[in-house]
Amino acid sequence: MKIVACYKCVPEEEEIKVKSDRTLDFLKAQWKIGLYDLNAVEAGMKLMEEVGGEVAVMTAADDIVENSKMRKAILSRGPAQMYGIKDDAMKTADSYATAQVLKAGIEKIGGIDLVLCGEGSGDIYAQQVGPVLGALLGWPTVNAVSKITPADRKLLVERSIEDGTEVLEVDLPAVVCVTSDINIPRIPTMKEILGAGKKPSTIWNLADVGAKIVNGSDTISILAPEQTDRLRIIFEGGSEENIEALYSHLRKMRRQ
Amino acid sequence: MNKVQNVLVVAESISGIAELTAGAAALGENIELIYAGNRSDAVNAETAYYLGDMRNDTILNAITSIVSLVQRNKPSLVLVESTRNGRIISATIAAAIGTSVLTDPSEIKLEEEAVISIRMVYGGAAFKAEKGVGEVKVVCVGGGVFEAGQTRAAGTIVDFDMGASDIRFVEKRAKEGKKVNLAAAKCVVGVGRGFGSEANLALARDLADAIGGEVGCSRPVAEEEKWMPKESYCGVSGVMIKPDVYIACGISGQVQHMSGVNQSKMILAINKDKSAPIFEKCDYGIVDDLKIVLPILTQKIKG
Repeated sequence: MKIVACYKCVPEEEEIKVKSDRTLDFLKAQWKIGLYDLNAVEAGMKLMEEVGGEVAVMTAADDIVENSKMRKAILSRGPAQMYGIKDDAMKTADSYATAQVLKAGIEKIGGIDLVLCGEGSGDIYAQQVGPVLGALLGWPTVNAVSKITPADRKLLVERSIEDGTEVLEVDLPAVVCVTSDINIPRIPTMKEILGAGKKPSTIWNLADVGAKIVNGSDTISILAPEQTDRLRIIFEGGSEENIEALYSHLRKMRRQ
Repeated sequence: MNKVQNVLVVAESISGIAELTAGAAALGENIELIYAGNRSDAVNAETAYYLGDMRNDTILNAITSIVSLVQRNKPSLVLVESTRNGRIISATIAAAIGTSVLTDPSEIKLEEEAVISIRMVYGGAAFKAEKGVGEVKVVCVGGGVFEAGQTRAAGTIVDFDMGASDIRFVEKRAKEGKKVNLAAAKCVVGVGRGFGSEANLALARDLADAIGGEVGCSRPVAEEEKWMPKESYCGVSGVMIKPDVYIACGISGQVQHMSGVNQSKMILAINKDKSAPIFEKCDYGIVDDLKIVLPILTQKIKG
């Protein structure tokens, strides 16, 4: 089975600083692989180990595509090679634009049986790129997949939805978006991290894949929230008196 | 506020149907509804297209037909309930008409012709305001954004032709237990890792029962410890709650979690770690073991 798992490099949110005008400062923020994307990679590795084939990974972004630390971080999880589509305008690409670019990349590679995506990106978490990519490719597309069982030219998948579990059969090629509890991503060994540097990676620009970046939304602003002022009245120790005090505030609130 | 002409709502739960059609009425003149569940669940819409109860089918099989209806009727606005199904329905509609879905707004506004959605990004570090491009705007909306007001019976109910798809339904296993609606709860007791073991969760349930609230949790409690179902965790990638009172028990107060609960009117915190960040972000707090505090507090509420 020829598998591509998609991923996104995202800033470590704990290290994003807020400027005085409430805009964000990413300068000090380290980059990391989106947490949920690791589940997609792991699902791909498990399938490959079961039925054979190859797992590649693909991302579309700005210069971070070529960042060697990020490349090692993703390839150390097992995939044989990496494809990156690089363009500065990817910085502000939304889900529709990103899916368009990834679609072009998938078609450029050709002969892919399965595209795996995580639940959502680690930064925006709109959970859209996978389903939009599937729709654009015109392939059967399923999300919320918590179990994949391969069969002959098809997959049996379990979807964890709000009111239960759906079992569905999907023909290949397909796009499958997995949940964050489908597996526990492997932790790479030192040998795998070192080996990752030697794995091939292919970097394309938009012209190479024949894609354009066309957003389906306009960003008006990205601003830190105004802080809700909290009273911060803290009682030390769970004495009868302190619990009574807490309870009296709770009671007042409920009466309103 | 000015309104758009036609709004199409796609929803599959009773609360989703009621909330989204109420929102649609506030934003638009005419409402159409595509829905699943019981046939009698349709409210507020002039025309309601019924998909069926989906006990022996998947809503994914109806997506092509839903997209055709959108392309035919060209509503100004499509509001889709942000269930797992809703994610993929909205994505497929948007891909077909060449726009992006505005997902998980905490607020939706109309400004002249534009539909503006405000959503949380970067793990709660910021809010992003964005507007949809194109003739039809698609928004994927979660619980609690619109308030379900007075409902009126739907006009015409039409059985919707599901159409065909390339996905085959094999079976469905219904989930046991009652569904919680955290987004609509007036009081939420939050369970953190500070509970130490699953057995202690009874303390949170007792408190919630006494106060007439629901129990939510932090992400590690659902995803790592697996003490509670995934649907119960509050935070950026989970449920966003806005109760009158949020009682954070054994919760450290990480940014991701707080982003999901900081629309609460009042936040109470109980944690034995005095330096836990939650004490910087609450209105009232007690520094002590929740195993000591919760039973006494519960007793006081019971009276």
